[in-house]
Amino acid sequence: MDAVRIVLQVLLVISSMVLTLFILLHKGKGGGLSDMFGGGMSTSLGGSSVAERNLDRFTVAIAVIWAVAIVGLGLLARFAS
Amino acid sequence: MLAAFVRAFRTPDLRKKLLFTLGIIALFRFGSHLPTPGVSYPLVQACLAQSQALGSDQAGFLSLANLFSGGAMLQLSVFALGIMPYITASIIVQLLTVVIPRFEELKKEGQSGQTKMTQYTRYLTIGLAILQSATLVTFARNPSALFGPGCDNILTDQSMITIVIMVLTMTAGTGLIMWLGELVTDRGVGNGMSLLIFISIAANFPGALWQIKENKGWGTFLGIVLMGFFILGAVVFVEQSQRRIPVQYAKRMVGRRMYGGTSTYIPLKVNMANVIPVIFASSLLALPAMIAQFQQGASGGPAWAQWISNNLTRGDHPIYMIIYTALIIFFTFFYVSITFNPTEVADNMKKYGGFIPGIRAGRPTAEYLQYVITRITVPGAIYLAVVSLIPVIAFVMVEANQANFPFGGTSIIILVGVGLETVKQIEAQLEQRHYEGFLR
Repeated sequence: MDAVRIVLQVLLVISSMVLTLFILLHKGKGGGLSDMFGGGMSTSLGGSSVAERNLDRFTVAIAVIWAVAIVGLGLLARFAS
Repeated sequence: MLAAFVRAFRTPDLRKKLLFTLGIIALFRFGSHLPTPGVSYPLVQACLAQSQALGSDQAGFLSLANLFSGGAMLQLSVFALGIMPYITASIIVQLLTVVIPRFEELKKEGQSGQTKMTQYTRYLTIGLAILQSATLVTFARNPSALFGPGCDNILTDQSMITIVIMVLTMTAGTGLIMWLGELVTDRGVGNGMSLLIFISIAANFPGALWQIKENKGWGTFLGIVLMGFFILGAVVFVEQSQRRIPVQYAKRMVGRRMYGGTSTYIPLKVNMANVIPVIFASSLLALPAMIAQFQQGASGGPAWAQWISNNLTRGDHPIYMIIYTALIIFFTFFYVSITFNPTEVADNMKKYGGFIPGIRAGRPTAEYLQYVITRITVPGAIYLAVVSLIPVIAFVMVEANQANFPFGGTSIIILVGVGLETVKQIEAQLEQRHYEGFLR
């Protein structure tokens, strides 16, 4: 049981870091505060590039791994004790 | 009303957008309930139930954060920090445009500068997320500060590794929320970030209302609901009200085409700054409370810390109310002055041959606009201050727990603002489709 937990923890640490990194690699959308709380209408034109779309895919994959690790750890903590 | 909804779902690409947005919202809510590894779920729930039963108001600086995270913060879930770091980062970047010349240049650059500033905001968000999650985890190690006395332990173990993992997970969670918000802005309807705030606040509503019913009975419950509808109506009224300054455009010939000659107006909203002053004021007032919290040991800390915790952490204290109101009024004027630049507007109008009837173009126009905006902001600022004091008044009247009071000023303005904006966007897209079908 301990081995599984350690593996999950390592997975979680790595995926957390990679996830943060990938998210920062994205180009920011939206503009500032006034946009957030009903400022001017700003519609961004143009689709995302191929690189961006691939990045999206990787990010989703990492996010899934991240979520699985968290759920796994949660289940372990519940049934271990 | 309902027909419009049906039509919205019949339109294929609008349906796709709506479903995408709903999916993201579902993910967001799910993450808000997923406990961070290292936190013992049963213990947290026990502590939460206990602190609600006691009705203890949470420490001042946490209540706002908890509001923005939709109760996720006190559950110490993976999305515990919610959208708060992003808001703080945006506020900081926005304020820096006044202070740092380089940021001001970027702001003037337009789209590309804005993108760069958004990028800075994102980096800052992650930095703040690390700081705030570390703070939250520190509190989680000694949870009586969060939940009130009688709550000794909510972690499964206190080892260093667990703590580091918790901080990392929450930071990544905050990043993920930011990304989800951007995805909604990009592919869904409305502005993602504000929609997520909307969801967090709205998620607290039913529970908080139910709690009032449980504590006070049906009479108070109905009274509060009625009052809520009244406030809602009033807020919508003020949010929609605007002063329209007429602008006449001169006719001019470019080549063989005739341009201009139309008359339009500049809409100046009464409450141009929206909720931002309230958020600024609350976060600023939370600072001394936080400092005092760190100073307070078992003995109560030095005299000034005690003074702060006596006078500045409770929302119903006169000193707090006065400072809060003053700050809101100040920030309203401040924010309007940095977002609306009369000289720029006047210059633009001059460039395209527009003028306000009866006023010369150029500097007199700018002065006139300045005069109008200043006058119109006075009621706007007072309105903001009054609305944000509603929960305090309600607290005195029905003795509801004001941290949980659903029709609080900040939350209701945000709800109305974001709701109106999103519905307008959906409507705009719907009209696009409808007209197309009409003409074919």
